[in-house]
Amino acid sequence: MTRLPKIFLLASLLLVALLLGGCSGVLASSSWPGVTVVNDVAYVAYGNHVYALRTDDGGMIWRFPEKAEGQRLFFAAPVVADGHLIVGDYLAVLHSLEPQTGQEQWAFTGAQGRWIASPLVLDGRIYAPNADHNLYALDLQGNLVWKFRASKALWSQPVSDGRYIYQASMDHYLYALDPANGQKIWARDLGGAVIYSPVLSDTGIIYISTLARNVLAIRTEDGSVVWQKAFEHNFWSQPLLHGDRLYLGDLGGKVYALSALDGAVLWENNLGEALTGAPTWVEEQVIFTTESGKVIAFTEEGIQKWMVTLEGKIYNGPVIANGRLLVGVTQGKILVQALAPTGQQVWAFEPPK
Amino acid sequence: MWDALIITPFVNVLLFIYNLVGQNFGLAIILFTLLIRLVTHPLMVKQIKGAKAMQELQKNEKWLKIQEKYKNDREKLAQEQMALYRELGINPFASCLPTLIQFPIIIGLYQSLIIALASTPIELLNLIRHIYPALLKVETLIPLNSQFLWMDLGLPERLVLPFLPVGIPVLAIVVTVTTYLQGKLMTPPSANPKDQSAMFSNMMNLYMPFLMGYLALTLASGLALYFVVSNLIGILQYAMLGQLNWKNILPKRVAEKPSKAGAKK
Repeated sequence: MTRLPKIFLLASLLLVALLLGGCSGVLASSSWPGVTVVNDVAYVAYGNHVYALRTDDGGMIWRFPEKAEGQRLFFAAPVVADGHLIVGDYLAVLHSLEPQTGQEQWAFTGAQGRWIASPLVLDGRIYAPNADHNLYALDLQGNLVWKFRASKALWSQPVSDGRYIYQASMDHYLYALDPANGQKIWARDLGGAVIYSPVLSDTGIIYISTLARNVLAIRTEDGSVVWQKAFEHNFWSQPLLHGDRLYLGDLGGKVYALSALDGAVLWENNLGEALTGAPTWVEEQVIFTTESGKVIAFTEEGIQKWMVTLEGKIYNGPVIANGRLLVGVTQGKILVQALAPTGQQVWAFEPPK
Repeated sequence: MWDALIITPFVNVLLFIYNLVGQNFGLAIILFTLLIRLVTHPLMVKQIKGAKAMQELQKNEKWLKIQEKYKNDREKLAQEQMALYRELGINPFASCLPTLIQFPIIIGLYQSLIIALASTPIELLNLIRHIYPALLKVETLIPLNSQFLWMDLGLPERLVLPFLPVGIPVLAIVVTVTTYLQGKLMTPPSANPKDQSAMFSNMMNLYMPFLMGYLALTLASGLALYFVVSNLIGILQYAMLGQLNWKNILPKRVAEKPSKAGAKK
């Protein structure tokens, strides 16, 4: 075979591989950074690594694993409790790391799907939802205690009032489970899939937004609906409960303040771009984030105070660290941006190669 | 533009079919691929006819003569070739143009499948944005039922059998075999197997199945299913047009041997 056809052959195969493989998307941008803050350390799961950062200057303490491992990707915010940092990956492995050093303590490999949501650690037990439709209850050594199967994937972190575990599912249901054995206490059809976690009040009400363009208030006691409110656009965010108000934004670009008592709209503001992630409350302001990278502060009454635009996209709300806002950013150079409550940029973390 | 004209309508048609067939995504992929191939079938017929006419031209006496006569004068050769095209009523672009039109449609089909096979949060958000609310309801559609036979169409496929320690990549094997068959059956017989284009075709037929098999092994099984269906439909289309070249895969007849012996004498 002469050199020319060889070159053509190679070029053709490369073109096909690029077209087919390249068109299938890059898994690294499948989700957004999961950020958790414990004391003075921020734990960030994104792409091939979990990072531990100092919250005062953004310096990296460790990363896990040190060397990237192909399709082992981390996106769910790590959870730290009882000397364990629990984080799941996209190859169906749930890891327990030593929080100070990032050394692996154990790995649970009994699930079949991706760990898209964070687990809940409560009273010495890990409740970990997986995309394989199961909620796994493990002890702190990673041994399976029980599992509960929903009919579709679980993408949201469970919450608990100590009495029951509340798990929302892509199958449109919110389940209340007995933490001792995983028995279903009640299930409520929400009318649409749930991406983000519900919010639990100390008055026994769960607030939840769904892909059916609605927000619901549900009694923890029996799963009955206190109120539900329909909106024009879908929600890709978790409500923030502050006092007797709920704050959230929709994909159509509107931010809302609702009465937690009956769902009445107290104020709304049209920003004209998709709002994503959970809002955060800091220093008498509610902070919203938009997909296009904006961080916007409003007063309790809906007056805009400041706005910062970051390079990249934001799909999750800011996390508070020592009075600062830590914002996880995807599809940009910066992975975490620290902002003062006034919007001033304090530090930025760019992951090392 | 590309998104609005090709991808979004394709995604909606695919999901509309998915709803029609009782939310079976595997069946929807098969029917959608079939539909697109049916729509582009007339283009494929034109492409095959054009290619065949060009192939027959290579054996035409006049063609061979002008090739020989003007082999050192490219400009004159081109003029004479154009004149011959006109005389015989052949359009030299008859096989290229349908291919060029089909290409974006096939790429659009492939991209719309990827969008619909959303299995991560950002992919799902992207899918939701492609849905026409007047045609389909997000609340009843999401999450898509990606289970088909033993496969989760959003993930690479492995058939796990209880007596085997590792899963078998059945679809990747089927993709490799059908790509090989398609390549072999659809390659026209060459007048001179040693010419560069014939050698190129042979090498492509050898390497392409492995490349496609590798992609099927690593990409979502919904795409591997599409590769299989697309290969089978391609073979079927050629068979219906009587263009399958069975000689490429059937063992060669022993009858050829005496001629070799005769040549030695």
